[in-house]
Amino acid sequence: MPSILQDYLPIVIFMSLCMFITLLLILPPLLIAPKNPDPEKLSPYECGFEPFDDARSKFDIRFYLVAILFIIFDLEVAFLFPWALVFGDIGLFGFFSMMLFLGILTIGFIYEWKKGALEWD
Amino acid sequence: MGSLLNDSLVIAPELFLIVSAIILLMLGSFKVKNSAKIVLYLSTITLFFVSFLELIMPWDISIIFNESLIENSFSRFTKSIIFMSSAFVIILSSRWLIRYDEKAFEYPILILFSSLGMALMVSANDLITLYLAIELQSLPLYVLASFRRDNINSGEAGIKYFVLGALSSSLFLFGASLVYGFTGSVEFFEISKVTSYSEVSAGLVVGIVFILSGLIFKISGVPFHMWTPDVYEGSATPVTAFFATAPKMAAMCMLVNILYGPFADSFYSWQQIIIFVSIASMALGSFAAIKQTNIKRLLAYSSIAHMGFTLIALALPLSPSNIQALLIYMLIYLMANLGVFSCIMSLEKSEGESVKDISDLSGISKKYPFIAFSLSIFMFSFAGIPPLAGFFGKYLIFRSAIENGLFLLAIFGLLISVIGAYYYINIVKVVYFDESNSSITKSSSKGLSITNIACTIFIIFFIIIYTLSPIAELARLAGISIN
Amino acid sequence: MVIELGHYLVLASMLFTIGVIGVFLNRENVIIILMSLELILLSISINLVAFSSFLNDSSGQIFSLFILTVAAGEAAIGLAILVVYFRNVGNIEVDQINKMSG
Repeated sequence: MPSILQDYLPIVIFMSLCMFITLLLILPPLLIAPKNPDPEKLSPYECGFEPFDDARSKFDIRFYLVAILFIIFDLEVAFLFPWALVFGDIGLFGFFSMMLFLGILTIGFIYEWKKGALEWD
Repeated sequence: MGSLLNDSLVIAPELFLIVSAIILLMLGSFKVKNSAKIVLYLSTITLFFVSFLELIMPWDISIIFNESLIENSFSRFTKSIIFMSSAFVIILSSRWLIRYDEKAFEYPILILFSSLGMALMVSANDLITLYLAIELQSLPLYVLASFRRDNINSGEAGIKYFVLGALSSSLFLFGASLVYGFTGSVEFFEISKVTSYSEVSAGLVVGIVFILSGLIFKISGVPFHMWTPDVYEGSATPVTAFFATAPKMAAMCMLVNILYGPFADSFYSWQQIIIFVSIASMALGSFAAIKQTNIKRLLAYSSIAHMGFTLIALALPLSPSNIQALLIYMLIYLMANLGVFSCIMSLEKSEGESVKDISDLSGISKKYPFIAFSLSIFMFSFAGIPPLAGFFGKYLIFRSAIENGLFLLAIFGLLISVIGAYYYINIVKVVYFDESNSSITKSSSKGLSITNIACTIFIIFFIIIYTLSPIAELARLAGISIN
Repeated sequence: MVIELGHYLVLASMLFTIGVIGVFLNRENVIIILMSLELILLSISINLVAFSSFLNDSSGQIFSLFILTVAAGEAAIGLAILVVYFRNVGNIEVDQINKMSG
């Protein structure tokens, strides 16, 4: 039994560390920051929309574009995680393979940028 | 590290293609003056150069990158043809592209990436590489199908091609997962080792069937041909020319690779399927083409029928002469198709509107005798009239079938090609003997004429070219290297 | 009950079949077709991972990682084509994608 508890010890440490850092970030503003409530600030926020509206209304096509681009760049992480796990074993070869992959990804990003897909107006 | 350098040298043509595609993409993005035109010309040169590079690279067998890619004379030969026909397609499209959108530099780059995918498809040596190559080939094709953004038909073609293409990739993948599960490996050598010493299990057969149905979609063989006419009709004509040529060649070579590679020992499990698809494609392609009025739909059914003829060579036990016949048939098919598309694209109904219906071609022989002449040459070649190239291709295929004892298949193919001759010769009749349609004008460019003349010469003098040039020898070497 | 390889395979083939049926029987919205395609790809991933764990061989898991990323790229292109189509036609109903036939 105690061995199981010992196995969970890192998790306890980890969680208490998390708790400490979040409290560090939340508490001081609550105590120090100035408060000037006004109706706009208090109303629920939904990025760029009327918060209470018909959910099926049409919205700007640019959200769509950003979402599509996000999908692609989001999934590189699927390769980064396994790579990070075995980083110690694969040496320079593994490092440069991933750099090559990220470089090609960056080229895609440059194309996207130059094409103006990231400009909002 | 030494082996890495060595492996990279073996696929130097592909690496060159990747690097130049990326450089051209950057060149197009940083809007230099006239960048779209520069990208267009440079990508044509790149493809021709890479095609040449494949021919002069050493042709002996080399297995590289942890057995994930294989290079032999078969892959060298077919890749050279694929790159060359992609280059011709860019030449064909250049005038249309500049007129449609001066700044669309993505078009040639999409073709470059798609050709790269095709090259990897041909030399893939495990299921993961094969899947990635198929996707690298297909994704640019989906975009190309819907390239005319202001056109309803083009968007519809894009959606249809995307949905059915993605479905076929998933059929392939499901098959691949079963093959992996029942043989324990994704590597072709391991798979063929397992199939050679043990009985073919039911799960493996199901996997092969799924893989085959995914791949037969790519060559538009019959149960999976529904997308072909719609996509051909809806896409812009140069894009259709691309669909009809390089991807078909690549998919056919991939079928050769996978059927005679890892699944060679389960020959009797897949031979029936190939025979069925072959007969059904020949029959449906020929009969459905008769009632078509749109040229591109007709060419779609014609390509289905031609894939049926090519599959005859694949339904036979492996021998170098069968593979040689298949490769020569595909080469002739590609050249004739490029020629037909160059003819269609050098005519237009009115400013910027391309020829759509067969009736639009009526009587063009009086105004444009050369286009009419070359179009009829290509049609006669499709129909298999001697002494043109098409006859020779069909002869090689039927001879292989008879040598291997598949008389019925050969006789059926012969009968079907007579029916096919009807609608090909009908076009010749329309071109030469119907009332002239005066609104047709010629809008040729240097690239179109050069392609047209080159293809016409190739088709007419094929027998001389075949006996004098090393094509036959190269195709024979390619056939020998499959084992 | 012990969960064995067979159970995973049955689950995967059920999901696969549901996906294929979803592609063909759906008459309403193209987005549903895209979702069905994703379902198919996920079922294949289940298959691969199950085999991979059963065979003690990592290539199945690598395969499923590649499928995951390629599926994202495919979905992005599908959605982009859908936007192009929507701009011209004004709806994405499956029944109305029939301007060409014959």
